[in-house]
Amino acid sequence: MKLEKEGLLNTIITGVGGQGNVVASQIFASAAVRDGFYVSVGETYGAAQRGGAVMSHVRLSRETQYGSLTPEGRAHVIVGFEPVECLRTVGGFGNKKTRVIVNPRPVYPIDVLSGASKYPAVEEVLKAIKELVYSIHMVEATELAKKAGDPIMQNVVMVGCLAGSGFAPVKVETLKEVVKETFAKKRPEANLKAFELGVEQIRRKKPL
Amino acid sequence: MSSIVVKGSRDLQKNVLANGLCSACGACTNLCPYIDMVRGRAVLIEPCGLSEGKCYDFCPRAYVDVPSLDRFVFGSYRRDLALGSNISVMKARAKESEVRSSAQYGGAVSALVTYALETGEIDAAVLAKSQDRISAEPTIARNRKEVFECAGSKYIVCPTVAEVFEATKQVKGKIGVVGTSCQITAVRKMQASNLEVEADKIGLLIGLFCTWAFSPDAYGYIRDLVGPAKVMKIDVPPPPANIFVIQTEAKRIEVPLDKVRKFVMPACNVCFDMTNEFADISVGTVEGKEDWNTVIVRTKEGEKILQGAIDVGVIEPKPLEKDRLNHLCEASLTRKRRVLTETEAEKIAYLTIREEDKFKIVS
Amino acid sequence: MSHFEIDEPGKRVLLMGNEAIARGALEAGVDFCSGYPGNPASEILEALARAAKKSDFHVEWSVNEIVALETAGAAASTGLRALTAMKNLGADVCADFLMTVNLSGTRGGFVLVTGDDPSAHSTTSELDTRNYARLADVPLLEPATTQEAKDMTKWAFDLSQELGVICMVRTVTRISHSRGVVTLGPLDRDKRSAEFSSQDLWTSGSSTIECMFHSILHEKLKRAQEKFEESKFNWYVGKENADFIIITSGTGWLYSLEAVKLLGLENEVGILKLGTTWPLPEKLVASHLKHAKEVLFVEETDPFLEQNMKILAAELASEGVGPIRFYGKKSNHVRGEFGAGTGELNVDVVIRALTEIGKAAYLSREKGYSEKAEKLLGSYVPARSMGFCAGCPHRASFWAIKKAAKWDGRDAIVTGDIGCYSLGMLPTGFSVSKTLHCMGAGIGTANGFGNLREFGLDKPVIAIAGDSTFYHACMPALVNARWNGSNILFVVLDNNTTAMTGHQPHPGTGVNALGDSSPRILIEDICEAIGAEVRICDPFDLEKSVQNLYELLQNEGVKVMIFRHECPLAFPKEKKARVYVDQDKCLGEECGCVKFCTRVFGCPGNIWDYEKGKAKIDEVMCNGCGLCAKICPAGAIIVEEVT
Repeated sequence: MKLEKEGLLNTIITGVGGQGNVVASQIFASAAVRDGFYVSVGETYGAAQRGGAVMSHVRLSRETQYGSLTPEGRAHVIVGFEPVECLRTVGGFGNKKTRVIVNPRPVYPIDVLSGASKYPAVEEVLKAIKELVYSIHMVEATELAKKAGDPIMQNVVMVGCLAGSGFAPVKVETLKEVVKETFAKKRPEANLKAFELGVEQIRRKKPL
Repeated sequence: MSSIVVKGSRDLQKNVLANGLCSACGACTNLCPYIDMVRGRAVLIEPCGLSEGKCYDFCPRAYVDVPSLDRFVFGSYRRDLALGSNISVMKARAKESEVRSSAQYGGAVSALVTYALETGEIDAAVLAKSQDRISAEPTIARNRKEVFECAGSKYIVCPTVAEVFEATKQVKGKIGVVGTSCQITAVRKMQASNLEVEADKIGLLIGLFCTWAFSPDAYGYIRDLVGPAKVMKIDVPPPPANIFVIQTEAKRIEVPLDKVRKFVMPACNVCFDMTNEFADISVGTVEGKEDWNTVIVRTKEGEKILQGAIDVGVIEPKPLEKDRLNHLCEASLTRKRRVLTETEAEKIAYLTIREEDKFKIVS
Repeated sequence: MSHFEIDEPGKRVLLMGNEAIARGALEAGVDFCSGYPGNPASEILEALARAAKKSDFHVEWSVNEIVALETAGAAASTGLRALTAMKNLGADVCADFLMTVNLSGTRGGFVLVTGDDPSAHSTTSELDTRNYARLADVPLLEPATTQEAKDMTKWAFDLSQELGVICMVRTVTRISHSRGVVTLGPLDRDKRSAEFSSQDLWTSGSSTIECMFHSILHEKLKRAQEKFEESKFNWYVGKENADFIIITSGTGWLYSLEAVKLLGLENEVGILKLGTTWPLPEKLVASHLKHAKEVLFVEETDPFLEQNMKILAAELASEGVGPIRFYGKKSNHVRGEFGAGTGELNVDVVIRALTEIGKAAYLSREKGYSEKAEKLLGSYVPARSMGFCAGCPHRASFWAIKKAAKWDGRDAIVTGDIGCYSLGMLPTGFSVSKTLHCMGAGIGTANGFGNLREFGLDKPVIAIAGDSTFYHACMPALVNARWNGSNILFVVLDNNTTAMTGHQPHPGTGVNALGDSSPRILIEDICEAIGAEVRICDPFDLEKSVQNLYELLQNEGVKVMIFRHECPLAFPKEKKARVYVDQDKCLGEECGCVKFCTRVFGCPGNIWDYEKGKAKIDEVMCNGCGLCAKICPAGAIIVEEVT
């Protein structure tokens, strides 16, 4: 897919601390650098990882370096590791042209478990996202990750989805290379499988 | 059981725990992770959020509806305002002198519990066990030896009922309980409760006459008095003695009651029930007769067990002299009168009795 | 994965800002590095430690920031190149030395890198450390991009060495933790040798000597300023001699650029971007103030440039500067969620400032979108508070403290400190701790609370600190408590790591920054030497922990409880036990439980099955620690070890 008219592609990977947000955005960003893009990645570390909401902004451009945070309403692609976080991010950064890939598996906040808040029905959340964006693809990434060997690899599955979707002008091959290098010493086959399952799945599935 | 509105842990905290009314009976502890028993007080770690719960329903200071409880236990309302519902009152003691020597007075409780266990009336009994004769802990006894280890009065409060709930889970058959008035009242409330299922297992309730108990703060005081010496027995002789007696191996220590009055649990001051009116059998002293117990038989179940024990020769009965009986009734009424007239309204709000009875007692 | 230490000059790599700073130090040939873990600066030293394993230079985590600065300062005084990195609040801790080593000077390049945290994402203060440069009279550099983070750090060493004074490089979260493309430079392989003779004097002096050194420091600053006038880190873009200019530094540069672009103002406004922000390159700034009629300051967090340049403008009034309409924090145009002078910058903040000033109109997306989104979020998006990780021993520790305090019944005062366990103030920690300030303030303030009996405050006082915090800041306060008779119970949460900042080692872990083994200095030994009553428990043994805490609370004097249990993230188990809930035994919402594990205990591994009305375990989040199995009142949670 070509870069948007502005010559800039804003992707936000969103989820809960501990879901592997940072690794996913690093893989995507490294691949983009390899393909010759200017890349900026903005993240929140530290306290947010203790179960808080985490967003990684990955901004690609052919011409110049941009600041690391996407302005309001300017995300082109949102990859949600968790449905409520996905909706939260869409609310702040989405627009009617945004494309979304989401893993519908909830991670319950302590506020919900304590009874202070209610967790909405996932269908309602996906419906709300659909109202706000151009297209939404739902991928059971945790289930696919289990197939690959460990549910914790859902982030790699989602990177595969991003790769296979064609939403970003980064080559699938480049992303695959980076995945291989990243996990060279940590279950390389399983992670590669997770990536490939993601690529396959997004191509097979229609948007909601 | 009644039209009582059962409440929850927040109300328990407000009405009982924060009001200094907790008698450490143990009924609300061991039910859930939110309430612990700490040194003679029940402590609410955090309200559980339920508006209705067992802790409040079992608590003998949250609410005691005397008419309802009478109907539940005895089938009808009491006629005897001094002693509560009863079938007979007598003197009794354990036949074996060995039983009596390890007991406080006549050994009737030890003998009755042992009899009930050995005849299979109950499979286990929840008792208060003391290692050092000063403080005690609840325990589940299943045989004669274990029962005898629990003989003797305990003056520092022991949260016996905490172990009753545990016993209903552990013990397959019937359970017996020996406890003070508030404790037996709590167990009756457990049996009557809509919230509790396993209470069906509770078979025999033996109640001890009770006027007051010390908080665990008394432990340090007594230990300091006694030093490392072994305590054989602690006793409060009848008035007009006004002393508290500690018998060690070596000597007899007498302490004026005034010195230890500060350790009495405040909750005891609002207790209406000297003779343990909801038990199957209530057992107390015979003033001046160290070797005998006063026994009040209240229910059919109690009567059956006591008679059985008498028949096999484990218990030796004797009629109770009239003046002793009058003295007992007078003592009980005096206490009720005092509680009804001298206690702050909010501290006695837990107790529901018929207006006409209140009037009769007071005048 | 990143290759910040590779020897390939000219290569383009994606680096985190902190890695770029580390790279800059390597390119400058740094010899001696020190610091203390702190967000957002922790990765600087971690990266340098990784490089030091392969090359031969010194990297250490120091016990706190002042020792870190002192130890590096000494190295620099011998002619070595030294770098100290810390978070913003670390500057407060080392301020005493900064305010004297600026005067005593340096021989080798000496660079202090401070990482600020606008919006306080992971800190307890938005402190803007640029103010320290002004206070200390030392040169200040502010990188605006990842590339500058590298280049400025490298240059800072040369600058420092030439001037003979420590130089500050100030970064923020969005530079430190963001990643950008960096073109690498050559690595410096020169090995310097350290020289310091017994004849050397290295002091800030006092009385006349200090005043003399102070004056010399001012001279150095003047020379710095001259260099700054020509610095390639300062530039002006946009309309020549524009009436309206934006003056910016740090992250403000790229945000302003993008804002101007989005508003179509490229040909109307000018942007003066400064990288050398103290001392101000006055001539350069003056040249632009002369043509400006309106100036918008875009910086974070304090109005540092804004105030200093207003002073400059006032000074230049007689030379034809002004009158200028100034916009920024004072005018409330540049503001965060809670107002001006607080909160981080982003493109939208700058856009809003420009549109409010009236420069342009702007719609970020389709009309009505934001309102619609807000409504949907209100209906469907619950808050997501922070919480302890699954398997975290702090959860057990705080529950034990809560119980013991309730058992005690005297309304104990609990003071908190800095670390993962700061979350003890939140529901995840059962809202047990009630105070939070800076490193060591827990036991520091407890000293006071525990000594107010004569004023009628006679409650038990419990101070909490972590293991790393203990070595950093708690020891003096513990001594003080003993010495001045304060009645406190000090609970040290020892999880064998510095967790919140990324699991760095500390003096109790037996390992140093390079991962080599080092002497273990035991917390209990120090506490016993001070004369405290010390007990050690595993918080996972809840019954014992509560009992021991309760007993300690009944005693007088200084008591220490060490809750010792390793952080599960720092020391992950080989095989995770399988934990599940026996659905038949689970009491759920019934009296006797009322969802104790999910509603109260709050481990993210304990979740609720709304359909069945029972608890269950989230196998992805669950850590296999088995703590919930211990606290379940029905014994319904089963732990199956996996062999």
